Amino acid sequence: MDAHAKHEGPLPPMWHYGETEHDPISTKTLGFWLYMLSDALIFAGLFAAYGVLAQPMDAAGGPTIAQIVHPIAAFWQTLAVLSSVLAYSLATVALKTGNRGGVLLGIIAAIVLGVVFIGLEFSDFATLFSIGATPDRSGLLSAFYIIVATHGLHMMFGILWMLVLIPQIIRSGFNTAIVARLLNLRLFWQFQASVWVCVYVFVYLRGAIQ
Amino acid sequence: MTDPHHPEPDPLRHAEVQQAGTFGYVSGTILTIALLGVALLITEQKSMQPTPVLVTISGLSIFLLVAQAMLFFGLDVSRYNIWKSVSLILTVPLFILSIGLTVWMFHALGPVMAMPEMPGMPLQPTVLQ
Amino acid sequence: MFVQLQGAWSPLFGRLTLDSIPYNNPIIIFAFAFSAIAGLAVVVPVIYFKKIGYIFREWICSVDHKKIGVMYIILGLVMLFRGFVDGFMIRTQQVMADGPSSPGVLEAQHGYLPPSHFDQIYSSHGTLMIIFAATPLLTGLGNIIVPLQIGARDMAFPRMNAISLWLTVMGAMLVMASLFIGDFSDAGWVGLTPLTELPYSPSVGVDYWMWAIQISSIGTTLNAINIITTIIGMRAPGMRWDRLPIFTWTTLSTSIIGLTAFPILGVALALLGADRYLGTHFYTAGMGGNLMLYTDLFWIWGHPEVYFLVLPAFGVLSEVIPTFSEKPLFGYITMVAATFAIAGISWAVWLHHFFTMGAGPMVNTFFSVATMIVGIPTGVKVFNWILTMYRGRITYTTPMLWSVGALMLLLVGGLTGVMLANPAINYTVHNSVFVIAHFHCMVLLIAFTIFAAVIYWFPKVFGFKLDEHNGKRFFWTFCIGTSVVFTAMFALGFEGETRRLDYLYDTDWKPMLIIEEIGIGFYCLSVFYFFKMLFVSIRDREKNRCGADPWGTSRTLEWLTHSPVPFYNFAVTPQVHELDELAWRRANNCEAITPETYEPIHMPKNSMVPIIIGIFAFGFGFGMVWRIWWMAGFSLLAIIAAVIISSFTPDPGYTITAEEMRKMEERKEPPGIVVDSHVPRPMAEERIV
Repeated sequence: MDAHAKHEGPLPPMWHYGETEHDPISTKTLGFWLYMLSDALIFAGLFAAYGVLAQPMDAAGGPTIAQIVHPIAAFWQTLAVLSSVLAYSLATVALKTGNRGGVLLGIIAAIVLGVVFIGLEFSDFATLFSIGATPDRSGLLSAFYIIVATHGLHMMFGILWMLVLIPQIIRSGFNTAIVARLLNLRLFWQFQASVWVCVYVFVYLRGAIQ
Repeated sequence: MTDPHHPEPDPLRHAEVQQAGTFGYVSGTILTIALLGVALLITEQKSMQPTPVLVTISGLSIFLLVAQAMLFFGLDVSRYNIWKSVSLILTVPLFILSIGLTVWMFHALGPVMAMPEMPGMPLQPTVLQ
Repeated sequence: MFVQLQGAWSPLFGRLTLDSIPYNNPIIIFAFAFSAIAGLAVVVPVIYFKKIGYIFREWICSVDHKKIGVMYIILGLVMLFRGFVDGFMIRTQQVMADGPSSPGVLEAQHGYLPPSHFDQIYSSHGTLMIIFAATPLLTGLGNIIVPLQIGARDMAFPRMNAISLWLTVMGAMLVMASLFIGDFSDAGWVGLTPLTELPYSPSVGVDYWMWAIQISSIGTTLNAINIITTIIGMRAPGMRWDRLPIFTWTTLSTSIIGLTAFPILGVALALLGADRYLGTHFYTAGMGGNLMLYTDLFWIWGHPEVYFLVLPAFGVLSEVIPTFSEKPLFGYITMVAATFAIAGISWAVWLHHFFTMGAGPMVNTFFSVATMIVGIPTGVKVFNWILTMYRGRITYTTPMLWSVGALMLLLVGGLTGVMLANPAINYTVHNSVFVIAHFHCMVLLIAFTIFAAVIYWFPKVFGFKLDEHNGKRFFWTFCIGTSVVFTAMFALGFEGETRRLDYLYDTDWKPMLIIEEIGIGFYCLSVFYFFKMLFVSIRDREKNRCGADPWGTSRTLEWLTHSPVPFYNFAVTPQVHELDELAWRRANNCEAITPETYEPIHMPKNSMVPIIIGIFAFGFGFGMVWRIWWMAGFSLLAIIAAVIISSFTPDPGYTITAEEMRKMEERKEPPGIVVDSHVPRPMAEERIV
């Protein structure tokens, strides 16, 4: 009892020979993009936790959010991360013509600016630690640190990734695997800029309002 | 995986490599820095009420995220990007649900009645209230 | 920022001491003896028949989706058995410890399990069954079947597939280790705060639970990425979206849940980990923590998780029922729409797990209505299955029996679920065994469909059918056990029995408890018949050898391959013409047409990297549990190093020439999943990197 009607005329071919359109670069970037969505949901969870714990009572008598966020100082971090993302993105523009020097220059600039960002963040944390605003002081501070530090950890992994790519580019040039990695890293690095927009607005600026 | 029987096309010719554009990246960067600067000014000015400020900077951030999706990630409905766009659009409601419903339910728990006051911890209305 | 640990800590061994080994607990000793004997029963024959190299090269280092799927299923079945033993122990304790005059043996005042041990048993029962039995079984099925159903040669990321497997295995190994070194969590599989915070759970139990779930959930997320990319990008020519088999559709929507919901679980557990390791105050009682935050985050994951489990089960039903009703599935489009409706709405219902936590009538109503709405697409599915069977030519093979049983369980479980969705009822039965009976109906329907799927697809993977006679006995004993235990449990729930109790105070419950114990007896019988079925089937495998289409009425593409499936799946990529491609070919008498010419194909090489990552993942987990910082740190660095180093040597794969393809295809016994001795020599001698 099959619902299929008999095929009219001669049968079409049963098997497919030749190329199937499985493009390895698109496969890899799609897979990486899906990973980025799951990463974005990690941040969604962290922001939900922050939304719950960023109430005055969660300061437990310690520093309030307004006392620990400095949006003007954090704007320097904004400049650092955005220019790092721009540098890397311009490196991928150089990739279009296979310009090895241009690509490497952009990556190195991105690394330097990324390190500046991390340095600014570390010094901010050091100042906070020195006034006793540590993550174990209160729920509010725990929530603040986990969001900012998770973003910072992502930045550090990206910098590591860039450092690993440099010898690979020098050694093997732009083969399929390395091009796919460069594209994935672009997705990853630009994502850090998007996350920073949310962190800056909803942690630093919103915190300063209260 | 290199296959000697099917030599690969030049990876640099791939659409996702070729879609990179200086204009998109530079304008996206300038837009982000400018609008975040605007948000910073609005916040630091302290002449507006907290709630309108919050609404404004939230709106700015959403605008920036959409702009970055188009200018940085180059999301469109072309063959190479359509699945990225579709998957992002389908994920956005999940952000709204998880964060929004969480904030709503905790807000609905009502004022904290049973917690004894600790020194230096006066009960204050929150921004959400 | 250091936390107060109870007990000793040394830099070399962390919290691990000789006292951590429970050598004076007779139950654990017995469990150890049993596990050791079972382990030896597997390892000794392997050594005796000199198969260590084979197992390592062809299975442990495999990147073949079919072998990885089989290993997932083996893991799931072993953990299912251990979870069943836990369940048996729970039932026995409760029937013994009913009433103040009930006797106590061993170290227990009532029954035979002291409270802390009983708590660990129900915690591990839940954790093992959900995370380490059901999830690997369903993941394994998807791994094997989805690439075959869409006409692909392998998954999009074969090596990452293997990494997902080994991460899951290592999570399970952490739970197994907790049995013999230290203890397991006694805070339930949910792990509510602040009970799971360090002051209230000072031992390593909660840490074992936490890291086991974290490590395996990374594997699950990676697997989701793999499946989605495979389904989007690796379909055979002609396999359009409207021709995709239903099992593939449900696996796609399941993987979307896996991709999006599991990160939230990661956050929930990571914040708990921060509390336990760094002294933060996310969920602490006081100092600005919020214990309800954990409940919220956990169930944001927890509810989509149960749909993550049930949607593949629905997919299996949609494959088995049409095959054994000899009719196409009724309502393909509504089935697909219902699947995605369920997946989508499941993201908006999670508060129904904690209606009683005080969010108030407005919030409760929203989540209650959303929960009830999910019942609508589920009902659509049930009607579609029934209408598929209606006027079909039904054969009650074992898979069909399991499927019809699953439908019955879905009815009872679904109706009681809608009851629970009503806050007024929920307030009365929250935390009673009524809830347990409800969700066991649902997870047992998942188990029923898993058994249906394993028996249905076993001939395809291994080339011979399982014994029907013992299979039916396995089914009936399992079915009777289920009905007896959980009918009694619904009744006890209405009578007010609270869940998770090691001692029951009301002797009026005794008759029902005895009935439940009889039910467990039937389950024990079913375990016996399961093993007998396997034994008889393997013994008689030559008599039950089968071809490509053993059931005769299957409809989808995977039945076009040889049985067992060769490691390259299809010799030539099939051209797809219609939905239910095999049924179309049968209707046009072309299902037996084989390719006339062959062309070279390219395959990925096996790799040691996934198992190395897995071993260091175990090292990381074990080191974190016992706070052996050097072990955890070194393992983490080793994983990162392994990834970086392997990126410097990309896999060139290997090519099978057209002539080798012809030789393999035209031999009588194709080189299937467990038969590698026929593989042409150059491949067998390939070095693994």
